[in-house]
Amino acid sequence: MRAFVYDRPTAVGEAVAAVAADPQAAFLAGGTTQLDLMKDGVWTPDRLVDITRLPLRGILVESQQLKVGALTTMEQLAAEPVVAQRLAFVREALLHGASVQLRNMATIGGNLLQRTRCRYFRDPSVSACNRRSPDSGCAAVDNVARMHAVLGVDERCIALHASDVAVPLIAVEASVLVDGPSGQRRIPLTEFWVRADEGPSIENVLGHGDLITEIDIPLLPAGWRSGYLKVRDRASYEFALTSAAVALQMDGDMIADIRIALGGVGSVPWRAREAEDMLRGTHVDPVRFEQAGRATMASAFTVPGTAFKVDLAVRTLSRQLLTMTEAPR
Amino acid sequence: MTATKPELGTWVGKGIDRVDGPHKVTGTAPYASDVTLPGMLHAVVVTSTVAAGTITKIDTSALLTLPGVRAVFTHENFPRLNHSPDVLFGEAPTTPMQDNRITFHGQEVALVVADTVQEATEAARLIEVTYAAETPLLDPADGRLETLPLSPDTSRGDTEAGWAAADVRVGATYRTPENTNNPLGLMGCVAAWDGDHLEIHDTTQGTIALRKTLAVMFGVPESGVRVRVPYLGGGFGAGLNQWPYKLLAAGAARELGRPVKVMLTRPQMFRLVGHRPDTEQQVRLGAARDGTLTMIEHRATSLSSIDFLAVGLITSGTPHLYTCPNVATVERTVRLNRRYPTSMRAPGEAEGNWAVETAMDELAHELGMDPLELRLRNFATAVDPADGKPWSSNAVVECCKVGAELFGWSRRDPRPSSMREGDLLIGWGMAAAGFFAYLPMSQARVTVYADGTAAVRSAATDLGTGTYTVITQLAADLLGLHPQQVDFQLGDSDLPASAQSGGSGLASSVSNAVIDAVAHLQGALLDLAGPDSPLHGQRPEDVMCRDGALCRRDDPSVRVPIADLLAGQNLVEASGDGRVRPPDPEAAAMAQAGAYGARFVEVAIDPMIGRLRVRRVVSVTDGGRILNQKLARSQIIGATVGGIGQALFEDTLTDPGTGRVANGTFGDYLVAVNADVPDVEVVFVGEPDRYTPAGTKGIGEIGLVGVAAAIGNAVHHATGRRLRDLPITIDQLMM
Ligand SMILES: Cc1cc2nc3c(=O)[nH]c(=O)nc-3n(C[C@H](O)[C@H](O)[C@H](O)COP(=O)(O)OP(=O)(O)OC[C@H]3O[C@@H](n4cnc5c(N)ncnc54)[C@H](O)[C@@H]3O)c2cc1C
Ligand code: SF4
Repeated sequence: MRAFVYDRPTAVGEAVAAVAADPQAAFLAGGTTQLDLMKDGVWTPDRLVDITRLPLRGILVESQQLKVGALTTMEQLAAEPVVAQRLAFVREALLHGASVQLRNMATIGGNLLQRTRCRYFRDPSVSACNRRSPDSGCAAVDNVARMHAVLGVDERCIALHASDVAVPLIAVEASVLVDGPSGQRRIPLTEFWVRADEGPSIENVLGHGDLITEIDIPLLPAGWRSGYLKVRDRASYEFALTSAAVALQMDGDMIADIRIALGGVGSVPWRAREAEDMLRGTHVDPVRFEQAGRATMASAFTVPGTAFKVDLAVRTLSRQLLTMTEAPR
Repeated sequence: MTATKPELGTWVGKGIDRVDGPHKVTGTAPYASDVTLPGMLHAVVVTSTVAAGTITKIDTSALLTLPGVRAVFTHENFPRLNHSPDVLFGEAPTTPMQDNRITFHGQEVALVVADTVQEATEAARLIEVTYAAETPLLDPADGRLETLPLSPDTSRGDTEAGWAAADVRVGATYRTPENTNNPLGLMGCVAAWDGDHLEIHDTTQGTIALRKTLAVMFGVPESGVRVRVPYLGGGFGAGLNQWPYKLLAAGAARELGRPVKVMLTRPQMFRLVGHRPDTEQQVRLGAARDGTLTMIEHRATSLSSIDFLAVGLITSGTPHLYTCPNVATVERTVRLNRRYPTSMRAPGEAEGNWAVETAMDELAHELGMDPLELRLRNFATAVDPADGKPWSSNAVVECCKVGAELFGWSRRDPRPSSMREGDLLIGWGMAAAGFFAYLPMSQARVTVYADGTAAVRSAATDLGTGTYTVITQLAADLLGLHPQQVDFQLGDSDLPASAQSGGSGLASSVSNAVIDAVAHLQGALLDLAGPDSPLHGQRPEDVMCRDGALCRRDDPSVRVPIADLLAGQNLVEASGDGRVRPPDPEAAAMAQAGAYGARFVEVAIDPMIGRLRVRRVVSVTDGGRILNQKLARSQIIGATVGGIGQALFEDTLTDPGTGRVANGTFGDYLVAVNADVPDVEVVFVGEPDRYTPAGTKGIGEIGLVGVAAAIGNAVHHATGRRLRDLPITIDQLMM
């Protein structure tokens, strides 16, 4: 039996210190990612620091933003009325994720830190995985890849960041508050994740012992609408093949301002800035929507199993742009 | 004793709740995973990480020093077992750990036994196995593969002449992928020896087949092996074979002199208990302008493992559904370094139907004819076209007509992409279905007691399908009792022998054995009636049991309480033994019919993002006599869910380089979830089948057959796109 130490501190400082002091320690929140990795033998920490007793639960509604405790569950955040009113796409992304049972356990902090679903990563009997063991190769590229990324990847690693809610969060430029061995800092989500093609084994900028305490989510200004479209094989309980989070402000028939991020395609939640720039200040035009999608996907790196995602992502974005520009709500 | 057709209907047919339901929902039903015995050890199976080659070294010495670890078995120290016996639909694949040969990725190479499952799991993770790996045969197109006939080729007439004579012809290649059975209940067992006696609690679908296999392979008398499986968490065929894990548990338990428990993990369920193998099929159809079929040719190749062959049955239904003078079937399999195949719900039939019923739709399209009309024109309704004998029953036409009516088929605009709702393309598709007749041997004993209650005993299993309930209902009718007065005991090989639950044959098999047993019971009770009894001199077929008494059939008021009959001879119980009787001469002259069905499906497709949703299913089945409307409906709904999975999701993938299962978890292998399944309208038509007294035909599998083809045909209707490879996924549907 693989024994590990189980700590359940009640203060943030204790939790940070406990992990920082032990290179083999890990935080445990809802456990829906962490325990799977342990059972699969992918990541077997010697010390598990359960953070669920820390006072990091709950949502503070301010006039311009939400301050969301890192331990707030996906269901709790989805149930917050202000989220429904001012961040519809966050709510939709949450409720299209996982299952209600998982969402009741899974925390919003843990969601941002979920590890890739790549089956080669999650099976230690597969030796070639640059993300798990640097310079060992990438089994996914040569084998069966479908739930893999096409943006921000290269032949060294095509791992997908599979979070749904991270997609609208990066679109509204949420940020996380981090408490770590060297103190507190704020990291915008746009700078939080590290693309696989910038180094397959590093997933984000957190250091060992860094604890996310809060996620600050700016509210969309009044008059904006937003929505999240998730495309997947089955109707429920599956990660996205592709998804599109769109928030925009219309001025008559014109897109006054817009935020776009794509899911299911990137090694990190994918902010589509060039598409935003192409569409901001333009009239509703399906041809232009498609061009904006194509521009976003132009740098795609595909393998046979993922090639269809380029086209599907373009269509997913176009469809969501049509929906958001057509149906005022 | 000739079996008289029993009068059934007081309880038989009624949709009563499962008699085992309360045990299940209160968590008191004991499954194999719940069994804990004193001194029991836990074992974990270690599997290979190469697909071909030999083991050159397994270092186990270090493991034995780990806490709790009691033993590690490998091919070097696992006992040598005898050859496995033949078991229809349930053979043991290669005996595990007899030598160092590896034939597939994920093969059993060691068994770690420890005090706790956690200790065994950790030791299993640390074991170091060194292989001399060889390049595995993994590409089905590899010319070096050994090809074998899987069942005899069949042919009638002259298919080339039928092809030449046809006005309209279609021919294409169809593919179905590997699907994994995946019952929710993980499979496993607890094996315990007492001297030469072995008792095993298992998840088998056939207690007697497992008993025989264990007795032969361990060289002990069959009388000394007891298999117990009172409850099963499903199986879908994965419980039919005598899988290595059972032999490993029994072998380890014997060596260690302690009970040993093995429970497989979900990833192991994808590797160690079989699957529906991949197929590639070629179908050619020819028809006259009026739609009369002039030829059918159906060729299939399935993928097998190196040592253990696929079940087949892909083409076996093809000669029987349609009247056509020229029919040929050819079925082959090839050996690859892949895991062992087995039967999965509607084995072969589900795959073969996909090809043939898609081809029929293509033919209808080419003919410009309604696909329903094409089928109605060609069904072989009166006689089996393969041998000319009259069917014992056949309501396939009624299936189609009732289904079409309920579905509103006549409102279908035949032109592809003609039916739209906003951005959505709507498609209506249908398929016909047949299933083979299978009536295996079972025995049963019916016992009545002085208190008026009765027990039925048979070594059958209840997969969750409802065996407990339907046999209780049947016995209640036959004995004139309330179902609560009847106790059906199953799941124990010490009971009268029974067939496995498989091939949709068990309910029919046990039903006919129970009917026979009750007839013998009546005879036995009559024997107890003394000379002054009002029943003295009656023949067994002239009496029946009613409300705890034996009475005359023609005048039930002439009756003697069973308690009195027993007391008169100082007895406390009386029994009758029964078995499946050979058909009477009239039935034997008929072609025994299996179940039939017709499936009607509506799909809605969003062509921009390739999203397909099944919106409506009407499923009509001719299953002969329906023993319980509610449970039968559940069977069809469950099978429809399986059919939707086969059509749209299920696809066990293999890494092309290594032969590893690429998606062997429930996170990666998709099955249909609730949101994928619309309301399913289930209807039964037809009459009790004339071949046996019970009149049942078996409905466990037919419900799956035809669902995929109906969906695929609906996709064609919606989009004009003919998709011939399952599953049908988003990337094929973007338009
Ligand atoms: C079957 C299944 C389906 C799923 N489907 C979806 C889906 O459709 N969409 C989707 O978006 N997600 C999905 N998920 C992922 C799920 O949302 C995440 O597993 C979950 O959000 C993680 O949160 P947790 O609290 O359980 O994290 P944990 O598992 O406890 O932790 C995850 C990781 O983050 C670290 N960690 C956790 N909290 C903190 C913190 N505050 N500071 C620093 N480190 C921390 C842990 O050490 C661990 O490494 C699915 C998961 C499963 C198991
Ligand atoms: S895609 Fe990335 S995570 Fe998956 S096997 Fe390759 S390197 Fe590992």
